[in-house]
Order: sequence, then structure tokens, then C-alpha cells
Amino acid sequence: MTTTHQAVTCLGCGCACDDIAVTTADGAITRIDRACALGRAWFEGASVPAACTVAGVAAGPEPALQAAARALLAAEGDLLVVLGPDLSTEAVRWALHAADRLRATVDTATSSAAGEGILAAQRRGRAGATLGEIRNRGDVVVFWGVDPAQRYPRYGERYAPGPPGVHVPEGRASRTVVSVTVGDDAGPEDADVHLGVAPADEVDVLAAMRAVVQGRAVDDLAEPLAGAAALAQRLMKASYAVLVHDGEPQAAARSPRRTEALITLVQALNTPTRAALSTLRAGGNANGAEAALTWQTGYPFAVDFADGHPRYAPGARGLDALAAGRFRAALVCGEWRGLAEPARAALAAIPTVLVGPAASTAPFPVAVAIDTGRAGIHEGGTAYRLDDVPLPLRPVLPHPRAADGVLASLACHLADPAFAGRS
Amino acid sequence: MSRLRLAGGRVYDPAHGIDGAVRDICLDDGRIVADLPPDAPTLDVTGLVVMPGGIDIHAHIASGSTNLARRLLPEEHAADPEAAPPFAAGRSGTGGTTPSTFTTGYRYARMGYTTVFDAAVAPLMARHSHAEMQDTPILDTGFYVLMGNDDYLLAELAAGRTRWVKDYAAWLLARTGGYAIKIVDAGGVEQWKAGVKELIDLDDPCGPNGLTPRKVMLALAEAADALALPHPIHLHCNRIGQPGNSATTLRTLEALDGHRAHVTHLQFHCYGGERGKGWRSEARAIIDHINAHPSLSFDVGQVVFGPATTLSGDCPAQYLLHRAADRKWLNVDLELEGGCGIIPYAYKQSAAVAALQWAIGLELFLLAADPWRIVLTTDHPNGGLFQAYPHIIRLLTDRAFRAEALKAVNPKWLQGSALLDGLDREYTLGEICIITRAGPARLLGLAGKGHLGPGADADITVYRPQDDAAAMFAAPVHVLKGGVPVVRDGALVASVAGRRLSVAPAYDEAVVAEVRRFHERFGSVSFENFASVA
Repeated sequence: MTTTHQAVTCLGCGCACDDIAVTTADGAITRIDRACALGRAWFEGASVPAACTVAGVAAGPEPALQAAARALLAAEGDLLVVLGPDLSTEAVRWALHAADRLRATVDTATSSAAGEGILAAQRRGRAGATLGEIRNRGDVVVFWGVDPAQRYPRYGERYAPGPPGVHVPEGRASRTVVSVTVGDDAGPEDADVHLGVAPADEVDVLAAMRAVVQGRAVDDLAEPLAGAAALAQRLMKASYAVLVHDGEPQAAARSPRRTEALITLVQALNTPTRAALSTLRAGGNANGAEAALTWQTGYPFAVDFADGHPRYAPGARGLDALAAGRFRAALVCGEWRGLAEPARAALAAIPTVLVGPAASTAPFPVAVAIDTGRAGIHEGGTAYRLDDVPLPLRPVLPHPRAADGVLASLACHLADPAFAGRS
Repeated sequence: MSRLRLAGGRVYDPAHGIDGAVRDICLDDGRIVADLPPDAPTLDVTGLVVMPGGIDIHAHIASGSTNLARRLLPEEHAADPEAAPPFAAGRSGTGGTTPSTFTTGYRYARMGYTTVFDAAVAPLMARHSHAEMQDTPILDTGFYVLMGNDDYLLAELAAGRTRWVKDYAAWLLARTGGYAIKIVDAGGVEQWKAGVKELIDLDDPCGPNGLTPRKVMLALAEAADALALPHPIHLHCNRIGQPGNSATTLRTLEALDGHRAHVTHLQFHCYGGERGKGWRSEARAIIDHINAHPSLSFDVGQVVFGPATTLSGDCPAQYLLHRAADRKWLNVDLELEGGCGIIPYAYKQSAAVAALQWAIGLELFLLAADPWRIVLTTDHPNGGLFQAYPHIIRLLTDRAFRAEALKAVNPKWLQGSALLDGLDREYTLGEICIITRAGPARLLGLAGKGHLGPGADADITVYRPQDDAAAMFAAPVHVLKGGVPVVRDGALVASVAGRRLSVAPAYDEAVVAEVRRFHERFGSVSFENFASVA
């Protein structure tokens, strides 16, 4: 039977486009409408097995859960929990329940660059907006060292500069688009205004722009600061200026002060006009994991429960400590294929429990593998867009097990004092 | 333990006129019953004070903006970790001014509170609030849905199409699983997004064709009345925190003219004076009006000296505070329906405005004629933390304690304050019971809460009477939630899941097509997914 599912949320990138139509027949996706190439790739990776293994041998789900609980309890206090990028927020909540119970160290799909951005926003705050507000108001849109067409293909079409908005009725024609190219990170070619900045000058350029915005006159500037000052003047005349930057790792490492400089510039712009910073984030549901971690622990990533309560350790990420031999066991939830080779080798050396899509096909030895579906394809729940807007996930294909259910069962086993495996 | 007799306590149940009489309270299957057989289990509470569980009518504990505040304040969490309580489902967490969800539930419960309403949830973020509330144990929770800066509503009102307002409000409440209509600075947040940096007044323009905050507020007040919602509009007036705003507040109250309204954190709206020329208290003028108008109720938003976080849908007010306070500042504009602003803050006893704010809150408490229409709040975490409630109770019940506290404040900053006139009222335990549980239950239309009559939820707090009311109310001897003992001698002994409190008023289905048309034109989320909480 052929079924078409409407308003499906895609997790191919942080845009989380939720207008996708997915047609299925006989347990397979046969047609995908409105998705970009990244989205098609996301949905086309849909086929996953439905096995459970203990020590590499096929097992039933319940024995696998019990073996998993035993392995994890044996390493209480010296345990790593990894939250992959494509877990529903509901699954993340249960994984954190287990991590709290096991006094584990939690690491997530939050990239190093994204983590630096979060730390900068924790120092300074930020001035932001949800994507719809950027669509409806942004009349000057600056793409700072990023062309979203590359890694966020529908950003321009869905949010800005393409679509018309309440206060920008002609869409692209109502907006001025500025492309700032920073080294090899090019802005969009079809912009109205272009500015080039050498990576070494980037933070100084942003500081000079902020000085102009704050009315601290800077005369007789040489390039590149003169061009930056002119851009600052242009932004001050906007009704609603938007700066878009990439929160994920780019071609070359950037100054760790870059995001803070962007944040403070956009905050300052809110005195002469209105402005928002839009931070692009990768696909999956890293933003959802950060949200759930924050409401359960107070911290958005790099949380360590080893002391019996949440401790923030952004300078000592769990996956880094894994390679150094810090842990006696690990629970990897969600997608494992993004794990680098050193992490895989370290996981192979300790009892590791994998709960996620195609866990049973991992090419490194694990103690327990429990296959689940993939959030947003086989599993419902919630994912967060790059602007922290929660969206429902609509399963389009069946799978016998969902990660949130498996992790809830695991948490129950861990918390049950009568559980036979405890001793 | 589904059946239990609380025997021999001094019962405070103002809804039934019981003011400290000694009697038994019987519970069965989560509810209060008239009696139990003699062989039912008994808990001896002789000599102890028995009240319904506390109800917080206005706090920010489970919303997208609360979570942004949590994320902004890692230094506070690091200074205030909380280990998991010693039972299987217990969860650890962190505190500070914006505690994590589990810690929020535990800390309220340890204080004897069992029901809390989040004060401001944008429809776009309703799904998030439900998730946080599922992770907030013990407490029954609900939330108020932000309206009055939503582009759809403002456009309809500006075009003179008022016929959909009632149905639109009903649809939003039902769609989001919300409990009441919340108005924050009607029209003012939309103006902020359009570049206006000052707070607009009741009759300033906030849209085309003569649209004003007054018209927006009245349209929603009429909708709430027409829908017979259990709680009326929950109103954050225009011009919060500004000297001279008492004139705005008075005009707002007069404009309501018989409509029901709950005016929230009133303390922040009672200021005379002018910017740069000194502030003064106008609490008496405001409270006189409320005392004379039974359709109005309010919560105080008491300021407490110490740390706070200002966390509000009133973005322009937060911007002005950011400019004045020079602290880190977070602003998020939410598409088509408002926004939020966040600033970590501290109220210093030595600061003129903070001292006046503290005094004005106490004036409102002490001058309020009808305890059923005033509720104890700090607008947590804006004026102070909910954990300060016991301290505030002592300020109200203990004249000598209050006099000592007043001595520590420079009187020259308390211009116009009736506190300087020596207000000597002392709240009785019965009145405290009203302003912390019986009253808010009635104002929220919660028939099963805030009293101890048969059929009520068995949410019960038992205190040991003490001269120090702060100590008494900070550490109850027993707290029962739905009949389950969750706190013993100030410590958690068990956890239960709380329930969601929501309304689902009927509406004309035709409004959905109207909203869909607008949303599909300007929204960034598919209409099927917008505010979807299922």
C-alpha cells in the first residue's frame, strides 16, 4: 500500500525543514518531495536492521537489556554515555536518566566549534531570533563566512533571503544581501554587497564594526577596517539586520574569539536598530540534546555525573577522555558511525553497549548491541531546529524498537533494586 | 498507602471556614474523603498545622525562555549542585536562580508546594514546556499562553475583525494544552521588534488603524470572559519597571471596567516619579482601586534582596534593564508571537530602587483588603526565588521581624511608602493559607485544590508551629501529593509524577482555516506542526 506522509521533519541539517512529503510502499520510501540533496540522503539512509546481540551472538531484546544493565552497573562511576546526533529528545531524556543513575560522563554530538559558540554565549548572552522572525523582518542579511547553499541548502529558500515576510513583502527584492568571505569560507555569490576579510583580521574587523555601532568614531581607517566600518554603517540603517554565521567547524579553524565578537557586535546593533544573530548548526538533533541536558542538568553539553550531581566540564569532553583510557564501560546511544577511529578502538577495548540504528553492524566488538529505528524516520518524538524551536517527528517506516523505549527500559532496569544483575 | 487518616492536627481550610480547629483529615485513593473506617492507617499530627498544598500562580519554571536562562548561567549551577534524593527514581540536578527541572520539583515540594503554573509560554514553544513539565516531578503544572503580541491577532484587530478573537484564543489554548490567556506588555513587544526602544503606554499606537494596547487587552479580556475560562486574563501591564508607571497601571485597571482580570507581579507596576528625578511608591493608589473592584485580583511579585534573574516576554523592558545594568543579556525574538529577554540580576538592600521595590511589595500585602484576591509570588526568578516564600511569610506574620528588616533600609529611598507610616498588620495563619493556596486555587478555578473538603486532591502540607514562621514554612513535617507521602521532616522520601492542568474550550472550527491561511503565508513551521504538543 502506498502512503504519503505530509509535514515530515527532515534532520538532514539544522534547518529541520518540516514540509517534506514522504511516500512509502511496502516498508520502503519510494518518493521524497521538497527535500534538498542533504535531505534526500538523510531519508535514503532509512533501511536499518532489527537485531540484538550479546557478545556478538544474536539474543532477544530482554536478555540484551539485562546484559547491558549488568555491564553498565559494573562500571558505575567510570562510565561514558555518548548521545549520537539523531536521537529524539525523548530518547535523550531517558539516556540522561541512565547516565545520572550510573554517575556517567556524558558527551554529545555538539561539535567543538559549536561548543565554543555556546561558551561565548554563556559569557555574553546573545541577541537572536527564530528563523521565522528572520524571514519576516530581516531587510539586511549578512552571510558572514558562509554560503548556506553548501551545508544548509534550503535556508535561503525557507527563511532568508528568499521568501516574502510580513515586513519584507517582496522577499529577496525587499532585502539587501551582504556576502562576507573569510579566507576560504565564501559568502553567497549572488549577494548585493561583497566584502573580503583575511582570517587573521576577522576579530579586529568585527571589533571595529562594533566600535562604529557604539558611536566610538574611528577615522581614517585603512582596509580592511574601512570596508568593515562602511558595512557597520549599512547595518545601522537596516530596520532589522541579520548576521548569519556557521556554528559548525569550517574549512580552517577560526579564532576562538570569533563567535564572541559576532555576538557582541549584534548585541550592540540593537541600540541603533534591531538585529539578530543566526547560528547555523548541523543536522540530527544536537540542539534537542542540548535543550534536554540543560533542563535536566543546567548545562547544555559536556556534563559529568561522576560526583553524584551534574558538573560542567566543557574543557574535558568525554570522547577525548575515552581515548585516554578514562572509562571502564560505555553506552553509545543513537548513530555511532560518526565516531572517529580512535574512539572506536577505545570502545572496543571496554564493555560497550550500543543502542541505535544498525548497532548490530558496528565494525568493532561490543558487549551488547540493540538495533533501533532512526528518529524522524522510524521513530516519533521531538527534534529541535537550529533556533531551538521544537518540532514533532513523524515516523514514516515501521521498526520493532524505538530508542526512547529501549533506553526507558534500560533506565528501569538500572533503577530497580530488585534487578538480579545488580549483585 | 491509599487510605490514611491525619489525626489531631490544627486544620486550616479557609474555603470551608476552618481556621485552626482540631480535626481529622481522611484520604483515600488520592483524594480527601469525609471519613474512613476506624481500622484505616493513621498518621498522628497532633499539635501540627495542616493546610492544603501550596499553589504558585506565577513562576517561570518550564519554558523555552527558562531553559535559555538556565543555559546562560552555568556559574550559578556550579555553585549550587543537588544530589539525587535517596530513592530509585531520584534525579540529581543543579540550582541557582533557574534550577533544573527535577531540582525545581523537589525544592517546591520540600517547601510544601504541590502545584505551580508557568507564567509565559509562547505557542511555538508549547511542546518544549510539556517536555520540561514531564521532567518536573511531584508538581501538578500548567502554563499560560502568550497572546497580545501575536501578528495574527494584531492584524485582525487592526482590521476591525474582532469576531475571531474568542475562537482564536480558544483554539490556541486547546492546541497548546494551556490553561489561561497571558498578556505581556500588550502590543509593546511587537513594537520592540519594529525598533521602538521605549515601553509604550496603554493608548499609544501598536499597529495600524489606531490599534492600541488598550484595544488588544480588552479584546482578550472579553474573550476570556466569553469563554468562561477558569482563570481570567493574566495581565502583565504595559511599562513595567518604569518610574511613573502607576498612572499606566491605574488607567489599565480602569479600562478593564468590570472584566475579570488577574494583574500579575503588581509590585513592578506601582511606581511614581520620573526617570532621573527619583522614584516613589504609588502602591496605595493602586491597591485602593483593586480593593474597591472585586473583579480584579493580583499577585505581588515581591522583591527579595539577593540574586535573581529577570526573565520575561517583555523584551523592550529587558533591553532597558540591560542598558542600565550592564550585565550579560539575551534576547530572542520569536516569530509572529513575541519574544523573551533575560538578564542575571541582584537586588541590593543598599540600592535605592531595589529598596523601594521591596517596600512596595510589602505595602501591597499589608494594604490588601481581601486576602482572596492577593497571591504571594516573587515572579520567580524575577523578583527573587520561590525558596524565599517562607522568609516573605515571616515578614507578613511577624511585625517585629519586619520592623528590623525595615531598619536596614535607608528611609530616604522609600518616598511615598506607607511602610514608613508604620503599617502594623500581621497576617494570621489563616490568611497565609489563603494567599498561598486557598486563594490561588479559587482564582485559577481549581475546584479540587486549595481546600481540604471531600473530593479535593489529597495535596496536603503539615507544618510544625514555630515562632519563626520562616523556619516553619521552609521545612514541613509532612507533604503528601495525591495522598502519597513525598516529604518527611523537610527531606524527600518519594517522588510521584505530576499532572498537567489545561483547558480545552470549544471554538468555531472555521477559525482554524483563518489562522492556517495566515500561518502558511508567514510561518516557518508547517501548520500541522505549529504548537503541536501531541
